[in-house]
Amino acid sequence: MGLVFTKLFSSLFGNKEARILVLGLDNAGKTTILYRLQMGEVVSTIPTIGFNVETVQYNNIKFQVWDLGGQTSIRPYWRCYFPNTQAIIYVVDSSDTDRLVIAKEEFHAILEEEELKGAVVLIFANKQDLPGALDDAAVTESLELHKIKNRQWAIFKTSAIKGEGLFEGLDWLSNTLKSGGG
Amino acid sequence: MFSLFYGLWKYLFSKMELHVLILGIDKAGKTTLLEKMKSVYSNIEGIPPDRIIPTVGLNIGRIEVANNKLVFWDLGGQPGLRSIWEKYYEEAHAVVFVIDASCPSRFEDAKSALEKVLRHEDLQGAPLLILANKQDLPEAVSAEELAQYLDLKKLDERVFMFEAVSAYDGMGIRESAEWLVEVMERSKRTEMLRARAGAMGQGP
Repeated sequence: MGLVFTKLFSSLFGNKEARILVLGLDNAGKTTILYRLQMGEVVSTIPTIGFNVETVQYNNIKFQVWDLGGQTSIRPYWRCYFPNTQAIIYVVDSSDTDRLVIAKEEFHAILEEEELKGAVVLIFANKQDLPGALDDAAVTESLELHKIKNRQWAIFKTSAIKGEGLFEGLDWLSNTLKSGGG
Repeated sequence: MFSLFYGLWKYLFSKMELHVLILGIDKAGKTTLLEKMKSVYSNIEGIPPDRIIPTVGLNIGRIEVANNKLVFWDLGGQPGLRSIWEKYYEEAHAVVFVIDASCPSRFEDAKSALEKVLRHEDLQGAPLLILANKQDLPEAVSAEELAQYLDLKKLDERVFMFEAVSAYDGMGIRESAEWLVEVMERSKRTEMLRARAGAMGQGP
């Protein structure tokens, strides 16, 4: 009974919990972003096999952030985590121009997924600290974001290493989720 | 055979969504307008104006006005982001162009952005609503003054209107939405988009 009240209370007064998936090709910087958000520190990471999950509290929203490994062999398993997802953070390595085409294809395949139809999309144009990194407008173009017409999206230039842009992105997410976006 | 009739039926009777593009240079108040529309026409409480951050992407608002389903596409207005506006033109039924009426130093920028929008062939015949926004500020110019300043050419064949609004306090918001619905309902462009959607809906 107490639990029911707690749930009612939290649904009335904020502290929403939102499930957020962090997706992207291998070496895009997903895990670095996750730990940057969670601890505010840069941790050295190894390629994720499987997933990392952390809860990040920001602007009264608890973000349950799932960082799924990005290697080709594990991408098919992403689907197991799709139900009940309110938002997707799609991370791209903006300096890896050779693989932006693959990143684009993978991205649009994700958007096709029935169980992610209602999820809002946040794109992190990551690794802005590297020379030759494309800016937000160029990444928008490469990922063909304009094809998204039935859900909200936003793109932010980020550098997980320097900690830039990440919380601006979360601001957008919490605003959007609170106003029932999607 | 069934699908043929179904397509025809859908074409004749279904209410399709009307897409309205919200454009304008940065800081014009596009997202604030969108949020105001949402709170006026649905029970959703919009994001309060002081919490709105510059848009770098697409915000969407769905509202119902006089039995019509309106979908607003609010796109970011910073110079680097304006290049994606045109990707949304083809499917837009109407355009709302928002201008900060309290900031004359940026009228020229707004004017050239608007002229570029109007030149685009994908927007042919799309009704245009130009909003002189931020009327809540004392220095805001009126809709007439703004119209004079912009001195737009080539508007003759297009259905258009200037309206003084405040996305902050809600002035002119209902008038704007109602005008949009009225002109979209009887525009050739809506007819054309509806026919195209109907043809695509028939499928094999």
